[in-house]
Amino acid sequence: MSEKDKSAAADSDPGLEWAKLWQTMAESSNRMVEAWSGSMAPFMLARLSEKPGGFGDGNEVSAAIERMAQGPRLADVWDIDRKMALAFGAWIEMRQRVASYNAVAAAPWPEASKRFIETMSATGSDGAPPPDWREAFAKWSEISNEELIRNQRTDGFLQAQKELLQAGLKLRRCQDDVAEAASAMLGLPTRKDFDDVTRQLTELRREVRTLTRKMRDQKSEGAR
Amino acid sequence: MSDQENQTSRFARDMAANAEKMFKATQLIANTRDEDVAIGTTPKHLVMRRDKVELFHYEPMAEATAKTPVLLAYGLIGRYTMADLQPDRSLVRSLLSKGLDLWLIDWGRPGRTERWLSIDDYVDDYIDAAVDRIAQETGHDKITLLGICEGGVFTTCYAAQHPEKVKNLVITITPIDFHADVNDKAAHHGFLNIWTRSLDPEDIDKLVDTYGVLPGEFMSSVFSMMTPMRSLTKYNVDLIDVVDDEAKFMNFLRMEKWLADRPHHPGEAAKQWLKDLYQENRLVDGSFELSGRRVDLKSITAPVLNVFALDDHIIPPDCSRALGAKIGSTDYTEIPLPGGHVGLFVSSKSQGKLSQSIADWLVARDANPGSEA
Repeated sequence: MSEKDKSAAADSDPGLEWAKLWQTMAESSNRMVEAWSGSMAPFMLARLSEKPGGFGDGNEVSAAIERMAQGPRLADVWDIDRKMALAFGAWIEMRQRVASYNAVAAAPWPEASKRFIETMSATGSDGAPPPDWREAFAKWSEISNEELIRNQRTDGFLQAQKELLQAGLKLRRCQDDVAEAASAMLGLPTRKDFDDVTRQLTELRREVRTLTRKMRDQKSEGAR
Repeated sequence: MSDQENQTSRFARDMAANAEKMFKATQLIANTRDEDVAIGTTPKHLVMRRDKVELFHYEPMAEATAKTPVLLAYGLIGRYTMADLQPDRSLVRSLLSKGLDLWLIDWGRPGRTERWLSIDDYVDDYIDAAVDRIAQETGHDKITLLGICEGGVFTTCYAAQHPEKVKNLVITITPIDFHADVNDKAAHHGFLNIWTRSLDPEDIDKLVDTYGVLPGEFMSSVFSMMTPMRSLTKYNVDLIDVVDDEAKFMNFLRMEKWLADRPHHPGEAAKQWLKDLYQENRLVDGSFELSGRRVDLKSITAPVLNVFALDDHIIPPDCSRALGAKIGSTDYTEIPLPGGHVGLFVSSKSQGKLSQSIADWLVARDANPGSEA
């Protein structure tokens, strides 16, 4: 079979069509990441030289907002604005962590595509009929699963995910602070109040049950 | 027609058929009501309620073969309905049909109100109260505990703290050594252990302090990550596979219903679970404390049956196996079964094996008074 024929056969093979589609998507995704990295590179390098902790420490906007919001409290009346500014800063930081996490989480796809193409290319070599879509998909799924799981166990992935969790929790706490301040202004009980009540209730219940058990044990000992 | 044309037309035909099946699946889902997808339906009646926790007694289905009552305790991550998903895939129904007297402790749906509940409360209060009530109802001094996953840890702790009330301990898919995953070479096993250890203890404190609980949705997303491609394809390729078979389609929906019904984990108990056990591995090193008392696994003197799944990606087998070397009982049995964490309970292949193993083991010990510690 000539090279031209091979190419024509490959074009009509559903498995290879599938692989090509995924490869195209993965390449587009890579190009996007490269373009983004390229455009941000000078800024990132400058930031890295300024801060030993690196770019992951947070970005300029969120850090500036945090500095402003954590400045001297001149009057309580501005407290809620300060809290909202902090929440906004936390939101910006969260977006940055989401982007970092997505970049790390997407890393295995090109390798999965490469392995899949190699596998599919090898399948027709022994004269066997090309796989149908289900067989091709099963292979794609198996390879991708392996690559995704391998990536999940890397330090880079776990660190990105931890930082995403930390940023998400920080944002949520800032949002809670705003909600608590608003509730306090309206004279409504806050979630902290609720937590205090449930804590007292839980502790009280424990005391009552301990006493009940002691009384029951004393009673049964007395009966013996 | 040439081979190339055949392949192309076959591909196009398959894709058209798949699109049709997806449309059919969408219609079927739209026309299925929540009440049509029933889980946890084996008949039972409420015996006791304590806060949100309920004790149920299952209706007997066969002549008694083992007289000692069996208390089933699931964990706080997910609900007991996994053990009673549907009539033909139900550990509960299967044990009842083998003549066991089965009771259930259902933790209900904890929320922020349960923020301050700790494992101490679950073991030394809720389980203890349930055991006392069963003893009172049945006249038995000791009962058998059957724990599943985190519920297995609770029942193990109970057997160590209250050995005088435990006739037998059966645990299934239960982690004991939370760091034994490092011995497991399977790449898809033990991500939960690695992930939890990657967090700082302060992250766990902040997570619980922020939400008041370990949110159920959060744990669902962690579990989804453990089977990445399955999570990406279950609502498309998996649906295509089951849409033409009503029984399979309903099995799929019942499983989805169980997965979606993931309650929040009470806050303080979650801190103990993730920090004391997953991170610091305190149960095996003997430093885990409940109600001010160290949980000493050597205090477990009742016969113990430890069942685990050989392809359990959530609780790697070595994490479960660790119990044998730690307990004081000389009557210890391990049964490794093929299958995964959930598959052990719900797959058609494993049906019968798990319940038969448990029932045979319990009947043998019930007939042997010498086994009573």
